[in-house]
Amino acid sequence: MAKDIATMRNIGISAHIDSGKTTLTERILFFCNRIHAIHEVRGKDGVGATMDSMELEKERGITIASAATNVQWGNIDINIIDTPGHVDFTIEVERALRVLDGAILVLCSVAGVQSQSITVDRQLKRYNVPRVAFINKCDRTGANPYRVAEQLREKLNLNSVMMQVPIGLEEKHIGVVDLITMKAIYFDANDDHGVRYDSIPSELESEVAEKREIMLDALSMFNEELMELMMEEQEIPEQLIHDAVRKGTLDLELCPVFVGSAYKNKGVQPLLDAVEAYLPCPTDIENKALDLDNNEEEVILESVNDKPPVALAFKLEDGQYGQLTYIRVYQGLVKKGSELYNIRSKKKFKVGRLVRMHSNNMEDITEAGSGDIVALFGIECASGDTFVQNGLNLSMTSMYVPEPVISLSIEPKDKSSSDKMAKALNRFTKEDPTFRTYVDDESNQTIVQGMGELHLEVYIERMKREYDAEVMTGAPQVAYREAISQKVDFNYTHKKQTGGSGQYARIAGFMEPNEESDYEFVSQIKGGAIPTEYIPSCDKGFQAALGKGSLVGHPIVGIKMTINDGQYHAVDSSDQAFQTAGRAAFREAYMKAKPIILEPIMRVSVEGPTEFQGNIFGSINQRRGIIIGSTDEGNNCTVEADVPLSEMFGYSTVLRSSTQGKAEFTMEFAKYSKVPTSISEELIKEFEEKNKKK
Amino acid sequence: MVKAELTKKSPLRILEKATHGGLGKGNIAVIASKRGIGKTACLVHIATDKLMRDKHVIHVSYSSRTDHIINWYEDIFKEISLKRELEDAMEVHDELIKNRVIMNFNQDGVSMDQVLNSVKAMIENGQKSTDAIVIDGYDFSKDCTDNMTRVKKFAKELNLEIWFTDSYEGEVVSEGDIPSNLKCCEEFLSIIMVLKNDGEVMNLNLVKDHDNKISEDLSLILDSKTLLIARKS
Repeated sequence: MAKDIATMRNIGISAHIDSGKTTLTERILFFCNRIHAIHEVRGKDGVGATMDSMELEKERGITIASAATNVQWGNIDINIIDTPGHVDFTIEVERALRVLDGAILVLCSVAGVQSQSITVDRQLKRYNVPRVAFINKCDRTGANPYRVAEQLREKLNLNSVMMQVPIGLEEKHIGVVDLITMKAIYFDANDDHGVRYDSIPSELESEVAEKREIMLDALSMFNEELMELMMEEQEIPEQLIHDAVRKGTLDLELCPVFVGSAYKNKGVQPLLDAVEAYLPCPTDIENKALDLDNNEEEVILESVNDKPPVALAFKLEDGQYGQLTYIRVYQGLVKKGSELYNIRSKKKFKVGRLVRMHSNNMEDITEAGSGDIVALFGIECASGDTFVQNGLNLSMTSMYVPEPVISLSIEPKDKSSSDKMAKALNRFTKEDPTFRTYVDDESNQTIVQGMGELHLEVYIERMKREYDAEVMTGAPQVAYREAISQKVDFNYTHKKQTGGSGQYARIAGFMEPNEESDYEFVSQIKGGAIPTEYIPSCDKGFQAALGKGSLVGHPIVGIKMTINDGQYHAVDSSDQAFQTAGRAAFREAYMKAKPIILEPIMRVSVEGPTEFQGNIFGSINQRRGIIIGSTDEGNNCTVEADVPLSEMFGYSTVLRSSTQGKAEFTMEFAKYSKVPTSISEELIKEFEEKNKKK
Repeated sequence: MVKAELTKKSPLRILEKATHGGLGKGNIAVIASKRGIGKTACLVHIATDKLMRDKHVIHVSYSSRTDHIINWYEDIFKEISLKRELEDAMEVHDELIKNRVIMNFNQDGVSMDQVLNSVKAMIENGQKSTDAIVIDGYDFSKDCTDNMTRVKKFAKELNLEIWFTDSYEGEVVSEGDIPSNLKCCEEFLSIIMVLKNDGEVMNLNLVKDHDNKISEDLSLILDSKTLLIARKS
């Protein structure tokens, strides 16, 4: 049975490394399952109760690492999606954020908002993910949740509002006061840290009243009725407050703050209640697909079950159960045994096993409804693929895959790494279409290609971490291109008469710059100056010359070749002769057509505190960058610039040291542009010297 | 038409002539109008004209996204280059972009100090040869006397021309008069122009020209079709 969409929550848990993300996740699994377990074992003489909780966690430890874990909290179904640990802006992180509808932002009550909290918050903002904050570790020495809530406001620009007041801090932290129900909550109802409600301790009364006032004041923005009741100083119904919090959270204009200590089992259940009450269900979020029949125009998907299915494969996992493909269903129903169509590979496939991953087991299901996150078994696909019902031509991701702009040679450190490296590469290329690999004919080295230095670094790092493959890397190479800047005529005769059958071919025409495509061939031959069968040979000859330009040996782009005259010999002309003539004619014409070198230009976006904006501007200027614009948002600023890729090597280190590690940058390929003359001369000289050495 | 000729024939030369050589560095100018009449278009045209004369401009705005502003520049550039059949338009365009920076402040209540600090950081760390700042969307109804004192000092210190837009509501500004929200800081403003809807045409009137008496009408309008400043026909 497909589930009721309104009871679904797809959430991520985002945090700085030491804020207790793992502990909180474990506790959530524990408490959700407990409830499940108590229902099941009821009456069977406390089987569940005597089990050691630590052991349960150990058992579950493995499943925490899975891409999506399904848990039940009351009537609510929560899919906890693992957000990748590395915070870099890669396709993988992007996909994980995409399938989330909401998030819990975990902060440490001692350390507060840390650099990584800023990064994850930025990512959540980028994808418009509504969030609730959980200030963890209130039992630690130096805990100060109020200060952290204030930092959320100052550093993250979030409208943070405390929804609870902690009862005691540091080692005295024993519970929380809920500012909506105005009740104290303790976690000692039973041995499983069950919830016990009580009246508010008298010493906290004035503080609670004050905080409630602040909370209601902030919430009155989101509900007029609430504002009126406040002005009239009347009793405010609880539901009205819940509604206001929910509205503010979903509109991304409010960040409700909860407190507790996951390790000491304080505050986890109220946080789960908050996930239920305030975070969106799939229908609250608008999801868009791209219509491939209509120039990738955006279309809004409807989270309803009676529409044709659209799903996104967001993660592949080689786990203990074999190859799993995690999908999020955005529209319609995915049924076991039904047929789906993979938009990228253009292949139909049958849905075999369909499973839901729980914290402690895997459940076979027959169908998955709109909004749900489930896994498929044994599907041949790459992550990022869109599955639809045959006939739809929608894609969740743009089908446009940019050409890689940077390459790097890699070499395994030892023999055992070699196999692992191959395995890792195979996997990564499946996961990320912008990451490619090949073996260079000349040097016999393995080359990886990608969209930037950082992009490749992340994969090298993952090879080490996930596949235990240590590799050595060469210096990164920029993927330059060559092009011509003016139209020239050519007229070339290829003649060879040294014993055996001779070779003869003459071709004439013109070469011109072409903005429409990388290469175009036009034949204007009339009267059989070149016989029809040899015309494709000329084309082949030209194309053979495109691969390596004469300036720096990089591919030539943006060329249109037109042939309009030629000559052949009844005996000596051949396919081969015309191909050779084509290649030579191209080379000769190319050098006359004022060839230029093009370099990849990256659209760089740097984000950091305003106090360092001067350093950021300066660092871009030193790199031949053009600043397009900057945006100030309170204490943070974002600078957008176009910078040549060749100047971006090592930028992360420079940026880190000039901003005390507080700024970060992302970049993506923007366009190819002409290299300035001084630099192109250097490149040509370098290339010539390299050739001489050979 | 080549670039130099185009700028020579620009209707903005009329404005320069009428204002005795233009705004001049260290000075502030304001274009005022009701909302939605075309102040931004005027400002972008003025900035584009400067860029075409190889000057460097920083555009300051308070909107939500920089790409909207970039689109303004693209549109205005396209209109100018089409109208005058500019040669090598793409190359000229790419040159202009290098000399233009957009700085956007999208936070509520960002202070003038903060804006000036950011602009200063930009100038000192990259755009050293900045000639002019254009500021779109500043609210003159809030502490403008204080802020304009600072802006004036800033303009003098960094030797810049600074252009503002001002939007006034619910007020009928009579011929030759200054909108009331500018009166408190009038002493810091060297040039004030009012863009007004007179029937079908949108007239651009000069109401303050340094310390000179305004003798004649500018005869400039904002063309509602191209959104360019043009001569009155």
